[in-house]
Amino acid sequence: MKKMRVGATASSLKGPGLIFSMALYFYFLAGRIQDVPISGQLGPAFWPKTILILLMVSCGIKAVETILEKGRKTGVSYGSSQPKDLNIVRLIAMIACIMGIVWAMEILGFLLATFLFFLVFTRIAGWRRIASLLITSSLGTVGVLYLFVKVVYLPLPKGQWFFNDLTIFLYRLLAII
Amino acid sequence: MWIDLHYLGIGLVNAFHPMNFAMIIVGLMIGVLAGALPGITMLNAIVLVLPFTYLMGMVPSLLLMIGIYCGGIFAGSITGILFNIPGDPMNVPTTWEGYKLNKKGFVSLALGMAIMCSAVGGFLSALTMTLLSPPFAKVALSFSTAEYFAIVFLGLTSVVVIGTRSIGSALISLFIGMALGTVGMDEIYGVFRFTFGSRILETGVNFVIVLIGLFAIGEVLEQLSMKAKEAGGTLRERHKTRLPRLGELWSLRSTILRGFGIGCLVGTIPGAGATVASFVSYGVEKQVCKKPELFGKGSWEGLAASETAINGSTGGAMIPLLTLGIPGSGATAVMLGAFLLHNVQPGPLLFTKTPESVYTIFAGMLLCNLIMILVGLLVARFFSELMRTPEVILDAFIVVFCLIGAFALRNDMADVWLMAGFGIIGYFMRRYELPIPPLVLGLILGPLAENYFMTTLIGAGNDFTVFFRRPLSCTLIFLSIALFFLPYVRFRKKKQPLEQESEISSY
Repeated sequence: MKKMRVGATASSLKGPGLIFSMALYFYFLAGRIQDVPISGQLGPAFWPKTILILLMVSCGIKAVETILEKGRKTGVSYGSSQPKDLNIVRLIAMIACIMGIVWAMEILGFLLATFLFFLVFTRIAGWRRIASLLITSSLGTVGVLYLFVKVVYLPLPKGQWFFNDLTIFLYRLLAII
Repeated sequence: MWIDLHYLGIGLVNAFHPMNFAMIIVGLMIGVLAGALPGITMLNAIVLVLPFTYLMGMVPSLLLMIGIYCGGIFAGSITGILFNIPGDPMNVPTTWEGYKLNKKGFVSLALGMAIMCSAVGGFLSALTMTLLSPPFAKVALSFSTAEYFAIVFLGLTSVVVIGTRSIGSALISLFIGMALGTVGMDEIYGVFRFTFGSRILETGVNFVIVLIGLFAIGEVLEQLSMKAKEAGGTLRERHKTRLPRLGELWSLRSTILRGFGIGCLVGTIPGAGATVASFVSYGVEKQVCKKPELFGKGSWEGLAASETAINGSTGGAMIPLLTLGIPGSGATAVMLGAFLLHNVQPGPLLFTKTPESVYTIFAGMLLCNLIMILVGLLVARFFSELMRTPEVILDAFIVVFCLIGAFALRNDMADVWLMAGFGIIGYFMRRYELPIPPLVLGLILGPLAENYFMTTLIGAGNDFTVFFRRPLSCTLIFLSIALFFLPYVRFRKKKQPLEQESEISSY
């Protein structure tokens, strides 16, 4: 039991430990900030270094809080991650979907990327009605395009190679340009 | 005279300008809808419209945001009273009492009471802001950079102290935000810091991108990854709303005044905001009212205290923003962003350089709270219909709007990548209970703090005692330090925190 508690405490300290390591790395990077020293002045590295030291101290405070909290074993726990009903597969799929649309915006263009995003995202999120899914995706994409390209004149990405021509063709078809 | 009636008159005329008036109405509609729909917060809505304010002037932008702020801050009560789903954490006390009143058969009056109390609290608060901001700004003009640093320091400390459950987590979040604020060109020495040769980082980490990513994308990921239930909405009964009679409102006059006072006062404290105001007002009312036994069972006093304080905090939060450039809440932090997008630095000079704009904002806020009664009635009446919109569809639209918003800043896909990255960080911050508001305020206030700190020290020949030699600066720094240790004292006194406190987050 005691071993388990020690293991849980160690696991809780991973987060502050990781942030501490990153702060330490950036602290050393701050030392390399190129500067022409002016005598009697603190220089451009002073502020970031101070902040990073304070960040490392904060990680220490968090670690102490975590250790005290685990030791106290009271009902209320500060700052600890509460168990939640997490659907990890869905989460990964959604993150991939969001990163995917950013990538697709560059390659396929905003029009095709958004249409595909609506389809995939709502499907992953649990939307089962195929017909309404298609209608929402189509109308949603066209509505957003009308608002931002036709009304606001925002030059949303048109994609590369063949997709650039396809987007322009579809814009003309939809009377957006 | 504290207020310049000439400029107030100009402000009122300007507020009725078609563009400005339209922005108030649109803002209120967006705010009420966003605040009432669970999962979309008023803050999300303000963040989402921020990039589009590029296309407008400063005043319409601010009026749009104020409309969203005033509308959104109250609207979460509608779903709280109707369905026991608070739209925002600040609406939790309203939900405790409102839903019980609904179950007792007072749903129509509970909705009407919430609308009226919000409007009264908001109007009085806007009036206070109009009266107190100009003299506050005059005093602020005598401040030196040492005082400004002390005020920003107080703001940063308040963020850590109020509304967070773990001081360590809040400090980590705050300093990450401040560290992010150091990326880009240093304003004093003109040297690049942490840019890694990237062109996009040379101008710094754009706070709009961070805000959109952390709040909106993080929230979408959090909501949808947790749900095991079938996507889609359930059909619910539609309810009518009845505004309270004057006598009914008069019987709650003391509660309303207390709620407004607490809301306004808490609102002025940087970092506190409507959630803290709502809980504090509810708690105080429970201590002083004649029927405390009714609290938690459907108390009109509890409902009125919470609602008045929520909207009462709006004007209070605007005072430090307009007079000192210090945001008092997450929403006003985004509004500060809108000012900066238009190359306007809020502060005492705003009152001398562009008094018309300031008074138009005052007038707009007064109007907002009056129009909110109508908008609130409309939205409460038809809200059951809106509740049928599937959350999945809404979330998909939110992501697309975020992508467009990030791209629209500089027409650069690098911003979109950054925003998506911050979205994922935002999700993990929520997951591991690292509070987001301190990071955002750290990112916004950090560069200001650095600027004031370094300028003061350069002027004083690196003499750190300069901050303690000026009375106001010294007082504020000691006050900040005292505030910093307050939670530890409170914790030692209570040993075990109230369960309600765990639901407070700093908005």
